[in-house]
Amino acid sequence: MEIFNGFLDAIYGIFSSSGLNTLNWQNYVMIGVSIFLIYLAIKKQYEPLLLLPIAFGMLLVNLYPEIMAAPSTELVRMADKSDPAAAGHATQLINGVWYYENPTNGGLLYYLYQGVKLGIYPPLIFLGIGCMTDFGPLISNPKSLILGAAAQIGIFVTFTGAIFLGFSEPQSGAIAIIGGADGPTAIFVTTKLAPEMLGSIAIAAYSYMALVPIIQPPIMKALTTKKERAVVMEQLRPVSKLEKIIFPIIVVILISIFLPDAAPLVGMLMLGNLFKESGVVDRIAKAAQNELMNIITIFLGVTVGATAKGSTFLTFDTIKIIVLGLIAFSMGTAFGVLFGKLMYKFTGGKVNPLIGSAGVSAVPMAARVSQRVGQQENPGNFLLMHAMGPNVAGVIGSAVAAGVLLNVIPH
Amino acid sequence: MLQSSVGALRAIAGELSLYDKSISAAKVILTGFAVVFSMLFLLIIIIKSYSAIIAGLQRASDNRKKKKTKLVLEPVSMDKGVHIITKPAYVTPPTVDDDEIPEEVVAVIAAAVAASFGPSSKARIKSIKKASGGRSAWANAGVLDNTRPF
Repeated sequence: MEIFNGFLDAIYGIFSSSGLNTLNWQNYVMIGVSIFLIYLAIKKQYEPLLLLPIAFGMLLVNLYPEIMAAPSTELVRMADKSDPAAAGHATQLINGVWYYENPTNGGLLYYLYQGVKLGIYPPLIFLGIGCMTDFGPLISNPKSLILGAAAQIGIFVTFTGAIFLGFSEPQSGAIAIIGGADGPTAIFVTTKLAPEMLGSIAIAAYSYMALVPIIQPPIMKALTTKKERAVVMEQLRPVSKLEKIIFPIIVVILISIFLPDAAPLVGMLMLGNLFKESGVVDRIAKAAQNELMNIITIFLGVTVGATAKGSTFLTFDTIKIIVLGLIAFSMGTAFGVLFGKLMYKFTGGKVNPLIGSAGVSAVPMAARVSQRVGQQENPGNFLLMHAMGPNVAGVIGSAVAAGVLLNVIPH
Repeated sequence: MLQSSVGALRAIAGELSLYDKSISAAKVILTGFAVVFSMLFLLIIIIKSYSAIIAGLQRASDNRKKKKTKLVLEPVSMDKGVHIITKPAYVTPPTVDDDEIPEEVVAVIAAAVAASFGPSSKARIKSIKKASGGRSAWANAGVLDNTRPF
């Protein structure tokens, strides 16, 4: 009988600590959402490198919320005041009973999440991006920086929308940065301004980046004429190695002096680019753009996904964030194209306005979209390299915009 | 903890009047426009300036080289097949400019090509460029030393 009771107690203990007893309906909804995102990542290949770890982190945290739990201290009852188990622990006397403080470890993802929380992972991702980025098209045609700046207007306009929808200033800043279409920048800004919104904002940012080929073309076509879209641009001049080496050094000096808040992102981006262009540290450049970036991507994706707990994610605010993010992204595209039209006018028709939409970072997807829409009008038109200029300018532009938000908004 | 901080932020948001919100929005929009555009305009000016300086320096260096070395295009046939198109009429031995490939090296490459393709082939060397980015002999020795156990 004693054995049977022990068996029943054990079964009851297992059941009471299992998910069947501890999870609520929000967790189950989020499990469904995460499985849908895993489907999108694998079957539809929507940004799978990030969406898959994000979705799996979301799945894990909703199955086992303790995986993101912070370390805490539990009170353990002592047999008496001189209980040897309490050696080395702080003790407390509560209602005549002695307890000792027993520190417990946090969950696995809690520790990995510190890299996000402390703003370490996004700059390291930028290091890898810098190693992979060729700023040649931008150096060859520096005017494309205007398009990179124009596409950031959506960020600041969306800030207005968010603040009037009832979000606080820091929250509005974090929502607005989705318009930069730059995942690491969005995460970097959100961890500083509104960490409680990280899950929703990261998922919105990466979803829109994956949906660039669907969101951008209608806006691009609506704002341009057939004649403008068919413009064939002159070939870019070749850029010397010396120019490419000087570029990251100049950019980092300029931006770090005038906008120190953007220094971690821009600094790492330019360091990576200098690794690449200098040609003397091939091993480091390869490590930064492959091993390091892949490892950080796993940590970043899983832990960002793990911030999307059902209880905090399934709110009306998340829907507002997703809608505002879409507005920010669409406005960024629209302003890029509109400035492209201005350049078309000022240059007497030498600039194809379609390259303006590439100003919203999302490298190299946005540039590919410019190329594809351009080729629909003129199959012999190759806009890709011309669009890469505004595209990489957009990365710098969104980092500068992030610096502005961090500087202007009290947090 | 998380929900309480969200609540606190909401409370702060609730305290902002319409006027405060307008002021905040205008401040962010104006600063954002001004800073992003001025930074990137400054970058345009700097990129254009240093590109112009570098282009000028390279032109000057090219002109100096042209004065020093007069290149004559003269095909040298090897069994009807291989043609070498660079033959400096005036070489300044024994030092060779970094960008130039010594005549002996060109001859060796031409001979290797001729040997490889055979005397009856119509192989033609149009240009010879130095490969860049490779490791020096010392770097190779270092890598070998470090990776030998693998």
